[in-house]
Amino acid sequence: MPSVSAGHALDLEKFLKSLKGQALEASINSLISLLKRRQIRGSEPCAIATAHILLQVVARSKWHDVNSLLLNVSRTGRRLVDAQPNELVIGNIVRRVLGLIRDEASEDRGDAGDESASEAPTPTDIVPPASISQQWSSKRFDSASSATVAARPPLVSSYSSINPPKSLFHLLSTSPPTDGDVSPFKTSGASTPTWRGNASQIHALRSEVIDGIEEIKDEISQVDDQIAASAEVQIHPGDLVLVHQPSTTVERFILRAAQKRKFTILIAMAPPRRQHSPENQHAAFRKKLSAAGITVVNVMNGGLMAYMSRVNKVIIGARAVVATGGVVADAGSAAIARAAKEQGAAVVVLNGIYKLSPESPFDESSLIEWGDSSTFVSFSDGPLVSGAEIRTALTELIPPELVDTYITNLGTHSRDHLSSLIADHYKREDADFHIWEEALP
Amino acid sequence: MSHKGKNSASSAKGKKPAKSNAESKGEDVLQAVVLADSFQDRFKPFTVEKPRCLLPLANTPLIEYTLEFLAMNGVQEVYIYCGAHTNQVEEYIGRSKWASSSKLSPFSVLQFVRVADARSVGDVLRDMDKRSLVDGDFLLVHGDVVSNLILDDALAAHRKRREASAANIMTMILHSGGPEEHRTKTNGITPVFVVDTKTQRCLHYDEMNPLQSDHYLSMDPAIAEELSTEFEIRADLIDAQIDICTPEVLALWSESFDYELPRRNFLHGVLKDWELNGKMIYAEIFEDGYAARASNLQMYDSISRDILGRWTFPFIPENNVFLKQTFKKHINNVIIETGASHAHDAKLQNSVIGTNTSIGSGSKITNSIIGTGCKIGSNVTLDNSFIWNNTTVGDGTTISKSILAGDVVVGKGCSIPTGSLISYCVQISDNISFSTATVLSTVTSTGKQVTKDINLLGPNSNAAPFFDPEDDELDDEDPSRLQKSLIYSLANFNLSTSSISTFNSDDESDDDNDSNFLSADAAHSSRSRLSSFASDDSAGKMSFHADAVHGLLDALRADSGDFDSAKLEFMGLRLANNASDAMMRKAVATAFTRRAVELVTPEHGGLDASKAAERAFTACKGASKFVNEVGVGGGEPEQIEFILSLQRALQHYSKGQEQQTKSSTLLPAMLQQLYALDILEEEGILGWWEDARAVDGESMAALKEKCKVLVEWLENAEEEDDDDDDSDDDSD
Repeated sequence: MPSVSAGHALDLEKFLKSLKGQALEASINSLISLLKRRQIRGSEPCAIATAHILLQVVARSKWHDVNSLLLNVSRTGRRLVDAQPNELVIGNIVRRVLGLIRDEASEDRGDAGDESASEAPTPTDIVPPASISQQWSSKRFDSASSATVAARPPLVSSYSSINPPKSLFHLLSTSPPTDGDVSPFKTSGASTPTWRGNASQIHALRSEVIDGIEEIKDEISQVDDQIAASAEVQIHPGDLVLVHQPSTTVERFILRAAQKRKFTILIAMAPPRRQHSPENQHAAFRKKLSAAGITVVNVMNGGLMAYMSRVNKVIIGARAVVATGGVVADAGSAAIARAAKEQGAAVVVLNGIYKLSPESPFDESSLIEWGDSSTFVSFSDGPLVSGAEIRTALTELIPPELVDTYITNLGTHSRDHLSSLIADHYKREDADFHIWEEALP
Repeated sequence: MSHKGKNSASSAKGKKPAKSNAESKGEDVLQAVVLADSFQDRFKPFTVEKPRCLLPLANTPLIEYTLEFLAMNGVQEVYIYCGAHTNQVEEYIGRSKWASSSKLSPFSVLQFVRVADARSVGDVLRDMDKRSLVDGDFLLVHGDVVSNLILDDALAAHRKRREASAANIMTMILHSGGPEEHRTKTNGITPVFVVDTKTQRCLHYDEMNPLQSDHYLSMDPAIAEELSTEFEIRADLIDAQIDICTPEVLALWSESFDYELPRRNFLHGVLKDWELNGKMIYAEIFEDGYAARASNLQMYDSISRDILGRWTFPFIPENNVFLKQTFKKHINNVIIETGASHAHDAKLQNSVIGTNTSIGSGSKITNSIIGTGCKIGSNVTLDNSFIWNNTTVGDGTTISKSILAGDVVVGKGCSIPTGSLISYCVQISDNISFSTATVLSTVTSTGKQVTKDINLLGPNSNAAPFFDPEDDELDDEDPSRLQKSLIYSLANFNLSTSSISTFNSDDESDDDNDSNFLSADAAHSSRSRLSSFASDDSAGKMSFHADAVHGLLDALRADSGDFDSAKLEFMGLRLANNASDAMMRKAVATAFTRRAVELVTPEHGGLDASKAAERAFTACKGASKFVNEVGVGGGEPEQIEFILSLQRALQHYSKGQEQQTKSSTLLPAMLQQLYALDILEEEGILGWWEDARAVDGESMAALKEKCKVLVEWLENAEEEDDDDDDSDDDSD
């Protein structure tokens, strides 16, 4: 197995491969180590790894009723969140899975046979489950498959992620006691007797939850395409668009717009890191843009503000979005967003719905991730190493009032709309899953 | 680089089926050999009770960093040699997540290697070769490595070279340290690598240190003529001693049975004999990332600072990489573990504080690392210090740049100055102040309970200053002396060096070579003294002094035996090492002084000074003649030098002994004895009395002062023109 890839050092790909051969607990620990050692970093890899490991938890851990399954998932989730508290997506995925379990459980309980039989396939047939395992590694940039998905009108294309809200609605109408006012444990506790000993039902629940997690994985892998679908609406001919250290999401978005529109793009680059000369940054991206006939201008961060008065739109790829609408993004984005606001340029944030977190930390500093000191200063510079205290922020928080539009895989939203998106995707009882879990014996 | 690396890896894969099973297994599974014992004692007194690899670095045992580094690089099989305190290391790892019995271990194999009576790294590696545990490329690291390097590219490059030729046996991982002074470069010993610019082949390796007499490096002319057209000589590299080796490296160790150190012996030797063995060693020089070895206390200090400065990312407390840690970063770069508490008016800055530690009000803590379960009283000032677990510091105490090991109790109102090392379980009473850096321990270097020093440490103490007898065995030019203290400074060493070295080139200008080793406090000391034996191999010099002193001491201890054989042996050694007169004189002086000091101690009868001196010089037949011919062997200048050597040796050996007062009178006694034996003349002794070097430093001056009576008497005797020439034989 290790001979598949060149190196020995661990990364996401190796981790996913190792999942099959390892015991569950060993896999969880190896993921925790990878997160702590930052060998898996960035919101998308973290989200994928989390989804995979939770799938393993559901499939392989011991549980005999919904309660114990919820407990298993939230325990694992809590450990993952602790391992890398700055990556909010980990918590988001855990909440999604918890919500999914609750939905499936209540669904099955409500109307034992026919409901689950008729409801369950609906979400899964959007993407056939056969292709799941390779999807992330190989097909992410496969434009053929993405075109079919993206060709759908936005609402339909996001059907898979509406699934939870749909079943929540369903759930609210059929079984009112599970509403958030009541403690989740009372309701599910009351229901346990019907579950216990019913092996086939457990089996059904297990496969349904697994299907649900597969959907989440699909959703993550399709986010970029779905977001890119609204590119043409956002970018108009002749626009001067500024992007800051474009992530793959942003790149896809711009490239999609470039197919139809003629505009000018400013790429604000990270301050020159030590090894990479600025020319090398985003080289492939720039090549593709110029192939599409788009004017590309590279701007260093420092010279950026002079251009700001002419910029129409600033597009920022989010690492996470908190409940207030604040955006966790690469360091440097906040200054750009503020300048854009002053000059009246629109600030557009691209974020997959899985990056939208119900958390709203009261302390901004707890969201910011601090990186390696050697990012900007060479360790071989002795006097600087011993004489200066170097702080490298990897992320920063863009205050919500600076953001005009959020584009997710569900479409375009304003800040006011975020709260309803959160309510659609997460259950209230799961919002603080890492806190209530601790209260259990 | 990385591009190349990938190609090579894929080509390696392509060829694999053609190879034997064992080899292909070696390619798939990365193995590592961890040397958890480096056969050094630079962490004394702490390592008397605990192995070095379990000492906490930023509240985590050193070995954890090493193992995380290996796990990060996808190492599968790990072999650990524990060495000293084997049981403690095995027990620790056995209970940790790394144990092969633990389900959480990322390693498929973790095996301890026990080697009976290994005395050096070389012995261990030769034993590894015999066992043939490793069958493919493996990483050779020490148990005190802290690194975050990803070695994929280096491994791939190594593999590619090995595919190209079986003679390419090893790749060293080095880190560029820049031309300027750098805290993480090893002080004292500077490794010098000669590396081919294009092929990265390492052509020559040597070590330099500021104590050596010749500030130059000699290189094989063949390097320029045959081996390379373009090469760099780099003295700036930080060498964490991470090596990617093929099993042939072990075989090569076996072939050269006398190699002990991986760098100074093995690397130097293999590169020197490139024509004979035909092996090639390469160096991968990293500009990015971090790699260093906590190989001595100064490096321990530097690496701790690097951890605080986040250079070792992701291995920083705040990431909680190590199990069961719950650190959180707060303002002012204070990283506090859950469960720690501090008073609100305590001023904390740039520090790490472990769980269950409490800090009293008004305390000021800067740049320090405090372990778990400590109690820091109120109004304590901690600066640049390291406090390990469960230590108590009383109110109002001031500690600067020191290490306090676990379970130490420091009373109220104490003051512990820069450079102090306080070992496990030491208790210090209230209101004790030390004027200079002090090393305290409850046990002696052999692990026995120490007799407590109530005068120094107050009534509630259980410790005494720590004195390592092995220090004396070291040659004064051995650079490892420079690495024994927490504070690197040449100032102190200049004194002791100049005190033994005898040829002074008074106007030797500052050498460029060593100017970058000098810390600020060394700059104004008299560095011109730092010199100068005839240029010969430094390794030879060291062994000469140690061997000669041992040989002579053995002969002297035999007491009644004939001294001729010892003399013969000594002269043989001299010829073998091409030792200079000055070195011989030093060795002779040291040997006799040690014997005399020994005789004063109670175990050997506790003779008084004059008796001891007499016994040392006259007990063996021929000893006095030997001293006369070999030790002094000349006129007034030689006599002066010999007395100076005696004085310095005495200053050295009487240090830390309880018999200090008694042994301090040894110098006049010995001089008198030598005078009586006609080995020294008045001119010599008086010349020494006038000599400025005799008062070089406090203790030297103190020793000299004791001889005042003798000198006055000699002066009088001279004036009276040899009135009573021989009467001094009986008087004491």
